[in-house]
Amino acid sequence: MLANHPRLRMVGRRLAQIVPVIVLATFIVFGLLKLVPGDVAATLAGEYATDERVAQIRVAYGLDQPFLVQYWHWLWNAAHLDLSRSFMSNEPVLDQILHRFPTTLLLVFCALLISLSVGVPLGILAATRVGSRVDVAVTSIASFGVALPSFWLAMILVATFSLSLGWFPATGAVRWSVDPRLAVWYAVLPAVALAAGGMAEVVRQLRSALIEVLASQYVRTLYAKGLSPTAILWKHGLKNVAVTLLTVIGLLTSRLLGGAVVIEAVFAIPGMGSMVVRAAIVKDFPVVQGVVFAMVILVIAINMVIDVLYTLVDPRVALK
Amino acid sequence: MNAPTHHAQEYHASGRIERRAFVALMGATALAGGDALAQGTPKPGGKLRVSAQGNPSSLDPMTGNSGSDHVVLYPMYDTLVEWDYATLQAKPGIAESWIDPDPTTLVLTIRDGITFHDGTKCDAAAVRANLVRAMTHERSNIKSDLGTVKEITASGRNVTLKLKQPDSALPLILSDRAGMMCSPKAMEESGRDYDRKPVGAGGWKFVSWADNENVVMTRNEHYWKPGRPLADAVTFQVIPELNTGLRSVTAGQNDFIYFLVPQQKALIDRARNVSSMIGPTMWCIQMYINYGRPPLDNVKVRQALNFAVNRDEFNKAAFGGLAEPTTMLLPKAHWAHVAELANYYTHDPERARKLLAEGGYSNGIDLVGISYSEQLSVQQQEILIEQVRQAGIRLTFKRFTGPPTTTAFLAEKQGDVFLSAWTGRPDPSLTYQLMFGVGSYYNAGRGEGAPGLTEALLATRASSNLDVRKAAFRKLQQIVTEHALMVPLVFRPELDAFGKRVHGYRPNLLGKPKFTDVWLEG
Repeated sequence: MLANHPRLRMVGRRLAQIVPVIVLATFIVFGLLKLVPGDVAATLAGEYATDERVAQIRVAYGLDQPFLVQYWHWLWNAAHLDLSRSFMSNEPVLDQILHRFPTTLLLVFCALLISLSVGVPLGILAATRVGSRVDVAVTSIASFGVALPSFWLAMILVATFSLSLGWFPATGAVRWSVDPRLAVWYAVLPAVALAAGGMAEVVRQLRSALIEVLASQYVRTLYAKGLSPTAILWKHGLKNVAVTLLTVIGLLTSRLLGGAVVIEAVFAIPGMGSMVVRAAIVKDFPVVQGVVFAMVILVIAINMVIDVLYTLVDPRVALK
Repeated sequence: MNAPTHHAQEYHASGRIERRAFVALMGATALAGGDALAQGTPKPGGKLRVSAQGNPSSLDPMTGNSGSDHVVLYPMYDTLVEWDYATLQAKPGIAESWIDPDPTTLVLTIRDGITFHDGTKCDAAAVRANLVRAMTHERSNIKSDLGTVKEITASGRNVTLKLKQPDSALPLILSDRAGMMCSPKAMEESGRDYDRKPVGAGGWKFVSWADNENVVMTRNEHYWKPGRPLADAVTFQVIPELNTGLRSVTAGQNDFIYFLVPQQKALIDRARNVSSMIGPTMWCIQMYINYGRPPLDNVKVRQALNFAVNRDEFNKAAFGGLAEPTTMLLPKAHWAHVAELANYYTHDPERARKLLAEGGYSNGIDLVGISYSEQLSVQQQEILIEQVRQAGIRLTFKRFTGPPTTTAFLAEKQGDVFLSAWTGRPDPSLTYQLMFGVGSYYNAGRGEGAPGLTEALLATRASSNLDVRKAAFRKLQQIVTEHALMVPLVFRPELDAFGKRVHGYRPNLLGKPKFTDVWLEG
């Protein structure tokens, strides 16, 4: 019975996507890493490399095996929730991910919160005053936000609010589980830097969607029926742009996860982004594969949540 | 090895600092605004927070692979032999003395009463267990360091190393990874996890390691050196990006950052709450040469390349004049430095052109370099491209990111030259052996670069008499320089920055900070 429920069918479809998407994504990333120049065995030997030692390492780590065999070994272990150990630090990859994921998630969550809490009011303000000075100011801010490089903004924020005023820490992060208040305090500056682009995107998308809705015939009818502009905006306008907003949130979350790589480097935040960049440079396959594995699951989960929210906002989506 | 040498007592009696080393050390002090040595009475206590550039590759000295690990390893692991900060001459550590009764025997006498952090004894048996493990374990990266050792025995306080051939480099090799003593009990109990659960006999005990985040240590209350260490705890915060690391010190989140680039000196000078210190190091910026194939198998071309480079201008443009220009592989402060070989190739584009013509390249020559894509490296490449162009050498660079750069030149044999660095080794014979030894990984051509080189290399390890060794190194360096087997450019300075509450820090020639004498105010 439940299986016939449209919303559950949709969730089922999303879950069924996980396996093929993981296999495809990790296979492509594995292949790309193999194409990158350099020999991970030589990297592992480091400053103590000899031809003999490099050859020994290649055998010890299974790097002498054919490409497909290496990938299959990784995939088989991953299917048993063993993401292997980092070539470089010997730490289990799953432990690394579990240790760092909360830090990145907190950063992304804070950035998303800032993007929405600033972007949504500004978008509404601009859409309800089209062509006014307020609209011009808001759209200009949005354009500036899109054009602004996050790493540049990050450095300006650090120079001003950390080094000059001393209000926020210049680097690092505190885990939520250790001290939630401190964790948020550390996350403020990086989240603001990360949120600038997202905030601009929310403003632009919301403004254009809301302008379209407010110019539609049924809104004109509502005005003709004598509803107040506030009631039209909150009861009808925003409800109709909710699907657009959800789409933006979904895309934004994925983009913020990607953007965190740069911000984590500027603020020396020990998160997933900095981890995967370092791993990719030294060709630490298990770590890169593990992060891709986790990211695929996260992105599919985000999409699934957004899809469910679609059906709540607009039941027609589930029926389709 | 000839007469018995290096008794601890003898060392201390003759442990004077040579003039040039003293000058170098004083130079470092002066650049630190006199804050380095004249710093009041050392006080114990406080937590020292250090911004570290790299995540350790392992906390097991035997399995690590990166030169940047040492700074994190030194606080936890004491070594059998230590070195003088200014000259890198060997001095007693866990081994209170050593003798060589015959050329192929080295006997270490282990200091009494030292314990590991887990309470077990750091005695002759433990030392033997460590050395055997380093020589035989399948995961050991340092087997070649102990390649001349045939057999090790322990008796009483003595550990006897029987050698396959004379090897006077061994004492200083035992000041490196091979000499970092680990608790045999901990190694056995932890197995492969020992990488992440280190137990040494150093001034601080391991507490935790969050990968790519921090390494935390606390004071070893049973440390054998009286009154040391001074700081209650040391935390290494892993911040790979140097500007971010420096910002963390400026903001007061960290106390100390080491090995900054000279371009950051201006930033440090602007920050009122941060001091800096500059010291000489063995970190040589150089162009490796693949002399195993044309055109650089031709000595005339290699010499032309050396004459084409303007080292003084390179120093000014790339290092703000803070580095030490050189044409040899050991800096002025080092005990085996040869002054007349340090300025052997002066900038002379005309002579370079002439040498190229003599070598059969009268129309100039095209060379491909391998190097890094990082901004500072690209800047150095551009300087060199322009300099050698004036001598008719058309140099282009192929760039890579991170470790694949080394692999491209040394393993895949791409390019003719490789602009990189050599971080130095405690014993200089290792530097020469690794870079020029037949079959060595760092010798891209793998062959003998010049007649008599192998013999000269062996001679540097044949005697433990310092004067004999100096003469052997002079001969070896002369062969390397005259045959232009490398293009040494400058020795990069050690530039450190630290908060005003940090006192007692002294730079060392190896360029890898030790914090045992550092104390914190307030």
